[in-house]
Order: sequence, then structure tokens, then C-alpha cells
Amino acid sequence: MSADNNVIISVKDLKKHYNGGEVKALDGVTTDIKKGEVVVVIGPSGSGKSTFLRSLNLLERPTGGTITFEGRDITDPSTNINKLRQKMGMVFQHFNLFPHLTVLRNMTIAPTKLHGLSKKDAEKKALELLEKVGLKDRANAYPSQLSGGQKQRIAIVRALAMTPDVMLFDEPTSALDPEMVGEVLEVMKDLANAGMTMVCVTHEMGFAREVATRVIFMDCGRIIEENTPEEIFTNPQNDRLKAFLQKVL
Amino acid sequence: MISKKSKTILIIGILSLVLSPIPVVGFGLAVVGLYQFYSDTMIKTSMKAEIGRTLSIIGLLINLIATAYVLFFMPFGNAPAWLTSLRDAFYSTSFYIDFENNFIAEARYNYILKGLGTTFEVTFFAALLGIALGVIVALVRSSYATLKEELRGGLGKAILWILNQLCGAYLTVIRGTPVVVQLMIIYFVIFASSNNKVLVAVLAFGINSGAYVAEIIRGGILSVDKGQFEAGRSLGFGYVRTMAFIIVPQAFKTVLPSLANEFIVLIKETSVSGYVGLQELTKGGDIIRSRTYSAFMPLIAVAIIYLVIVMFFSWLISLLERRLKNSER
Repeated sequence: MSADNNVIISVKDLKKHYNGGEVKALDGVTTDIKKGEVVVVIGPSGSGKSTFLRSLNLLERPTGGTITFEGRDITDPSTNINKLRQKMGMVFQHFNLFPHLTVLRNMTIAPTKLHGLSKKDAEKKALELLEKVGLKDRANAYPSQLSGGQKQRIAIVRALAMTPDVMLFDEPTSALDPEMVGEVLEVMKDLANAGMTMVCVTHEMGFAREVATRVIFMDCGRIIEENTPEEIFTNPQNDRLKAFLQKVL
Repeated sequence: MISKKSKTILIIGILSLVLSPIPVVGFGLAVVGLYQFYSDTMIKTSMKAEIGRTLSIIGLLINLIATAYVLFFMPFGNAPAWLTSLRDAFYSTSFYIDFENNFIAEARYNYILKGLGTTFEVTFFAALLGIALGVIVALVRSSYATLKEELRGGLGKAILWILNQLCGAYLTVIRGTPVVVQLMIIYFVIFASSNNKVLVAVLAFGINSGAYVAEIIRGGILSVDKGQFEAGRSLGFGYVRTMAFIIVPQAFKTVLPSLANEFIVLIKETSVSGYVGLQELTKGGDIIRSRTYSAFMPLIAVAIIYLVIVMFFSWLISLLERRLKNSER
């Protein structure tokens, strides 16, 4: 049990096994995420990094271990997970905007229905957020009318509209055309600079190096090494990390 | 250019429908409208023009009937000699004799008219019942499929399991037996004491249709990308609200044409209601046949009426599909 008040997510011995232990997507992951940290999770495909991230808000159900979010065990069936998810924004690789709703409605549907915000207040807040990411003029567009980079920026502010305590990013730039990666990373960078706690699975090593406060390297469902970006990238200890970095850098 | 012309065609269509009872005028308008539509290959792309065309066609048909009525049946104070001789000639054709015998004598057309009303009545309420049942069954089945992992034991899971089994049995039994048999079981076994045939037919066809509607809607729910569900849940919506705000509106759009199609099937299916003695359209035609011993006229008339109804609804569906395609992402 961590006595540190700053710990916002505490993960203990997290396991996700399929087929009765034959496949181990997560095999005992333990880590603490503190307030204001920007944790970037890297690793080869199949290393369990996405499963780890998706476990944090229970989109994947772990088969063992515990996750404590703001002092509450979210793996306990009696915990109201819907309530806790409202404080954990999530951004997906494929954006997952709601195609039948306008950009503005995408952003206001959750705050109005879940936080009981009035439509006016929710829209005001949504427009402020849109302004920040430079998309105020697309408020009444439908997702189909946006480019990939625009969609992902909207997806980020949609999550932010719920004023979450943590933001989870699941490979947010992997489905984008190369020229659109920059605009999304820029928004994420601003968010990090504003002090948001972030957990981010990504292949963007530049982003990890520049923005992360801590980098976690995962392989075979375990955390192999975790350290500051400088140490990870300039002084890797583990052989698998060295091999991985050699391939991606 | 096209938008202006299609507007004209639409207006002509409306006019020709409104004025269709007037011989010559209604006919002329309809012909003008149809000529405008078919002389221009580009105009087909406009929905307004398409609606105008169909209204013109309907107007034309009504006008032909009205013209025939005025020519052959409408009473005049003192009809001109040419009209009287025309009528006499018409009245002595074997077509008219057959027609008179089957539809006019003893007001037999009432079998057709009342039967048509009953057909509509049964179809309408059976469709409502079918949709209600279908939505419920589809939601139970798809929520069981997604929630069985989330719910860990407990009463909720047990209830959902039982409901899911019931729905599975319902689908198997209803889709595995002929609708006529279901109809007769409901009438002669379950409702043996009641003689409300319309109610029996509504129940039978509603319950039958519900099974097919359920699978259509479930397919629509499955067709929505899984990421949509995850996005809804990750914002903090529970299962029910994610379905209501995110999944069902998208699913509904995809299944609307199939649902409308099921409705068309339902209209035709009600034609077996005669098995329990309900006098709907088909039975009406059959009663005339049994009275007059001439099968051709009443049965062909019944067939034409079904055909016109189905063509009209098919046309509505095609319009709907076009609308949905236009607003596509």
C-alpha cells in the first residue's frame, strides 16, 4: 500500500490470462502513476501495452491483481465503474467519434447526460476546448467531414469535456497519415504542459523523449524496465530494450 | 436547371393527383409530367422529380378509373345519343358481364373493400407488435452476449440468462414452424373460446414477425463498430445508456430498409388469415369466387391490389434508402 497521496493509479500484480493461462497478455504488472506524471508505455507489438492501458479503465477485465484509482479498487465488482470512468478520459487509435452526432454533440452528450450540465453550459465549455485545438469552426460538422488529425483532436477534447483526472491514450497517432501526426502530438504536449496526468501507449519515440516524465518498456506482458526518458533512451539496461530501441530509433 | 425542372415535375405530379378525378385534365397533366421526367435522363437523380413522377403515375391510374366511371356508369339527366350507344355496346361485352357479376351484383365489391380494410388493420397492428417484440428480444440477446462477461454471477446474470434462453426458444420455435400452423394453433387451441379473429391474426402475425424483426435489429446492433461501444463506456455511460444514445441510433439507420421490407412481407403473409375464417382481402376475393363460380376476375383483382400496395411501399423504401445514402458519412 502506497502512503503517497500523490498516487492516482496504483497497479498491483495485474494479470490477464486467456485460455486458462495458456496466453499471458499481462503477467504481473506492478506500477504507480502519480498525479501530473506523463507515463509513456513502449514495447514491441504483442507486449501487452495496449491491454495494460485498457485494463486501467476496465475496458479489459484483468484475471488477476488489483487496480486502485483514487483510492478505490476498480476490479472489485461492487465498485461503480461508470462513475470512475467519468474521471478517466480515453483516446482510441481509431478515434471512435460518434458518426451520427455533430462535433459539438459528440462533446456535449456525456457532460449533459452524466454531469447534468445544461446544454448551454456544456456547449460553451465545448467551444472553449475546440478553440484551444483550433477547431472551433468545425463545431457543427459531422465526423465524416473531418480529416484524421482533426478527428483525433476532437476525440481528445471530447474526453477533456468530462474534466477527467487522468487521460489514457491508446496509440493515438498510429492510424494517422504521417503529416497529421504532428498536430495531434502538439495537442497532447500542451495537455502535458498544463499538468494533466497522462498514460500514453505510443510508437512516437520523439514524443516519449520530449514529453514523458517516465517511460515504461513492456515485453511479454511484463514491465521490463522503467525510468526517465533520458535513462531509457541513452542508457538502456535490458538487452530486450536495447534490441527494441535499435529497431525503432 | 435540374432543381428547377424537378420542382416543376413535382408540382405537376401533385396537381395530376389532385385533379385526377377529372377526365382529360388529370390525364393530360399526368402525361405532361411523365414526359418531362422520361425525356430527361439526368432528372432521375432528383428525388423531387422521382416523387413527382410517382404521383403522376398514381394520378394517371385514378384518372383512368374515373374516366371509365364517367363514360360507363355516371348517371346523366339526358345523355347524348353517342354515349348511350357506347354504354349499350359496353354493357353487352363479356368483360362487362363478368365484371358486373363479380363486383357489382349484390354489391360484391364490398368483400374486396372490407377485406382490404381488414388486411390493413391486421398488418398495421401486427407490425407494431412485431417491432415491439423484436426490439425487446434483440436487446435481450445482444445485451446477454456483451454483459455475460461483465456480470459476475448474481441475480442479474441469472435473470438475463433465463430471458436469453426464452428468447432463443422463441426464435427457434417461431422461425422453425409455418406461420399458418402458428395462426391455427393460436385460433383453435389458445384462443379457442374467443371469436375475435382480427385479434388472433394480429397476435399470430405480430409474434411471427417479431422473430424476424429481432434478428434484423440484432444484426444492426452487431454491425455497429465495437469501438463505438467502448467510446461510450469510456466516457462513463452505462450499458443501457450507451445502447440508447450511441448504438441503437446507428443500428436503426442500417436496418431501416430491412425493417420496411419485413413490413411488405407481412402484408402478403396476412393473406393466409382465411384459414381461421378471417375475411381479409384474399378471403374476400375467394368468397366472390365461391359465389359466382368465376375465378379469374376476383382473384386477378386481388392480385393487382396486392401488387399495387407492395409496389407503392417498395417505392417508399427505395426513397428511404436514397435519403440514407445521401446523408451517409
